[in-house]
Amino acid sequence: MRMPGCEQLESCIQCGTCSGVCPLSIYMSHTPRQVMALTRGDFKREVLHSHTIWLCASCYACTVECPQGIRITDIMYELKQRAISEGVYPRRFPIPVLAHEFNAMVQKHGRITELQLVIRMFLKTSWVAALANWRLGLDLLRTGRFSLLTERIKRRGDIARMLDAVDGTKGRS
Amino acid sequence: MIANPGNQPEVRIGFYVCHCGHNIAGVVDCPAVAAYVAGLPGVVLSRDYKYMCSDPGQELLQQDVREHRLNRVIVASCSPLLHEHTFRQATAAAGLNPFLCHMVNLREHAAWVHTDRHAATEKAKALARAAVRRVTWHRALEVKRAPIHPQVLIVGGGIAGIHAALVLAEAGKEVFLVEREPSIGGHMARFDKTFPTLDCAACILTPKMSAVGTHPRITLWTYSEVTKVEGYVGNFTVTVTRKPRYVHEDRCTGCQECVAHCVYKEAKFRDEFNEGLGKRKPIYIPFPQATPQVTLIDPLVCLNFKKGVLTNRCKQTCVEACGDRQAIDFQQQEEYLQIKVGTILVTTGFQTFDVRRMPQYGYGTFPNVYTALEVERLVNASGPTGGEVLLRDGRRPGAIGIVHCVGSRDKKTNRWCSRVCCMYSLKLAHLLKEHSGAEVYNFYIDLRTPGKGYEEFYDKLNTEGVHFIRGRVGEVTDWAVTPEEEGKLVIRVEDTLAGFVRRIPVDMVVLSTGLEPRHDAQAVRRMFNMSCGTEGFFLERHPKLAPVSTFTDGVFIAGCCQGPRDIPDTVAQAGAAAAEALALIDRGYVEQEPNTAHVLDDCSGCKSCLPLCPYAAITIDPVSRKAVINEALCKGCGTCVASCPSGSIGQHLFEDDELLNEIAGVLAE
Repeated sequence: MRMPGCEQLESCIQCGTCSGVCPLSIYMSHTPRQVMALTRGDFKREVLHSHTIWLCASCYACTVECPQGIRITDIMYELKQRAISEGVYPRRFPIPVLAHEFNAMVQKHGRITELQLVIRMFLKTSWVAALANWRLGLDLLRTGRFSLLTERIKRRGDIARMLDAVDGTKGRS
Repeated sequence: MIANPGNQPEVRIGFYVCHCGHNIAGVVDCPAVAAYVAGLPGVVLSRDYKYMCSDPGQELLQQDVREHRLNRVIVASCSPLLHEHTFRQATAAAGLNPFLCHMVNLREHAAWVHTDRHAATEKAKALARAAVRRVTWHRALEVKRAPIHPQVLIVGGGIAGIHAALVLAEAGKEVFLVEREPSIGGHMARFDKTFPTLDCAACILTPKMSAVGTHPRITLWTYSEVTKVEGYVGNFTVTVTRKPRYVHEDRCTGCQECVAHCVYKEAKFRDEFNEGLGKRKPIYIPFPQATPQVTLIDPLVCLNFKKGVLTNRCKQTCVEACGDRQAIDFQQQEEYLQIKVGTILVTTGFQTFDVRRMPQYGYGTFPNVYTALEVERLVNASGPTGGEVLLRDGRRPGAIGIVHCVGSRDKKTNRWCSRVCCMYSLKLAHLLKEHSGAEVYNFYIDLRTPGKGYEEFYDKLNTEGVHFIRGRVGEVTDWAVTPEEEGKLVIRVEDTLAGFVRRIPVDMVVLSTGLEPRHDAQAVRRMFNMSCGTEGFFLERHPKLAPVSTFTDGVFIAGCCQGPRDIPDTVAQAGAAAAEALALIDRGYVEQEPNTAHVLDDCSGCKSCLPLCPYAAITIDPVSRKAVINEALCKGCGTCVASCPSGSIGQHLFEDDELLNEIAGVLAE
């Protein structure tokens, strides 16, 4: 797969440093190195369906340590975007759902309201997880960390224009 | 427009454009260039030919010179660096003065740097036109010969310097070997065994070291540095600075009574030879087989000095112990020696990568992380533990991890492969397993074992039960997750062949450090007027065909100062460098390119050129009060020519009429 701006992927020597430094690699279906190999080898289906890209916490340890200077985290982001745009991300998987809802809320109100975001995420992923966390939610409400009102900024048109501009530069709608 | 020289017979130019296979003809239309040049004034003959440098090409040139009575030759082909000598020789063989031949570099200046065929051909025509105008003004010149001093200077007393010194001395040449450290031997003296034969490094090196020490034709200066180099091939003047050891080399017998009687009863200072794993006294011999067998005093820790300054506050028991020999001399000062040599061999070696630049491997934080060079000393019988593999806390390791490619193949540190680490890691794996019986893990990216018997050595290790895990180590940590990891160092790595991320607990980590240029390589490069590649290793004149020559005539390189290599390659290269030096010396003279500057009659004697000459070749004649240029010293740099306010200095091969006509030729339509 071609990764615009990440052409160094071609020079990957498959040394596995990315997997060795990744704090989450032990939980991944494919190690980051394997994702790089699959991406370079054009195994699109396997890569976009891999849980690895959704487990990446963007800590950038792999990018910092890569001896070939490959921007692995950026490639992970690119893969996530492709998975979303092709609709192949795992259903009811919290990370893409959260990202999607977060983005929609910012587009609409200019900022997020945590309570609503969390509720939407749980609605679209797992009610069981919501029940398991009821105590934490109650504490956050009691201490004023969760707002019951919708939070929004004043000049919402401006932020929409800014986001449009950012999307425009990347050639995406 | 400058007119044709009137005082010369008719100019008859022969022009040859070379296809150089596809190198030139692929981009430049060679027949068109030849046809164009044929119509230029003075050109009698113009040809294109596939390979001018081939024997038939050269014969064609000679035949044409004779048959067509040519008196100028132009070859439009590759760089003069490559074939100027060839075509000048061919011209001379045809009975013409070789300096009436001129080259146009169509390959590097037109074909290789352009893609547009038409534009490149036009450029080639312009360059040819310029050469036609220039060569008209060429004059016959004579090559001057200068004698060569038969003495050789070798800088650096590692295995490369030692081998080259012995080759040259055995051939009857006088050799000066200058070494910075108190003993020769270099890195090899610190190795335990050598791969793949597992020869003891000391056993094969020390006979050569003592041969150097006793050879009548080798002058060995240890604890010394070259500080100044002047002159040119065949005639260098070198200044060597000898640091004070505070012990007279000619009086000391190496009995080490002084060491035994030092006021420090216990050795307590960092022992450089053992990478700081052992201790030494202020007066010491670096290692048992050190050459010369002479002690030295470290003024930074000796009680008779304070911060290196003599105070005479110590009881000086060492002087007492030395007795009548009176070898110890606290008054010794730095000495400067000047020698004349004809050729120089630079064999200054390498330094190992500083592993502190990669903090994720924990060197300096975790005491049980070692560099490979430290482990060499650890497994050595004369090392700090007497060859027993003991950790810094005295424990025996049960599991050892060897991390390859530390400071190699990494864009953030050193990009190159250091060539020797794979093999020395395998060697250390074998030795560590043999000495301690521990489980040994190798963590590698690729195993590179190209060499005689190297792959067989790798095979042998596989059968010995050494573990090989393909994966570059992410980090070394003491953060235990499971009870088995408590008190151990954990190596986090992906086993890339299995596709699993693993945590491997070990007691000892060995970092296989890469090789890099010495920290002062740039200063050395400037002193000997050499070039460096992007990595900082000294640059050979040609990577394939002149691997031990440099761009400065008479200066040769060998060993790891030119790039990482193992001992067999280093010795082979040292032998090659010695042979190159011998070839020069035994010829007895050097031919000097006659591109020297010369003073014209209208010199006013203003002396402005005198301080500008980098070779001190210009003096003022006391009688005529005009500048005089010593042709033997002039290197043809042209600085004085450009700076002369009255334009009274000319330069052979670069005369004003030659250059101005060349420029006019490029600009003409």
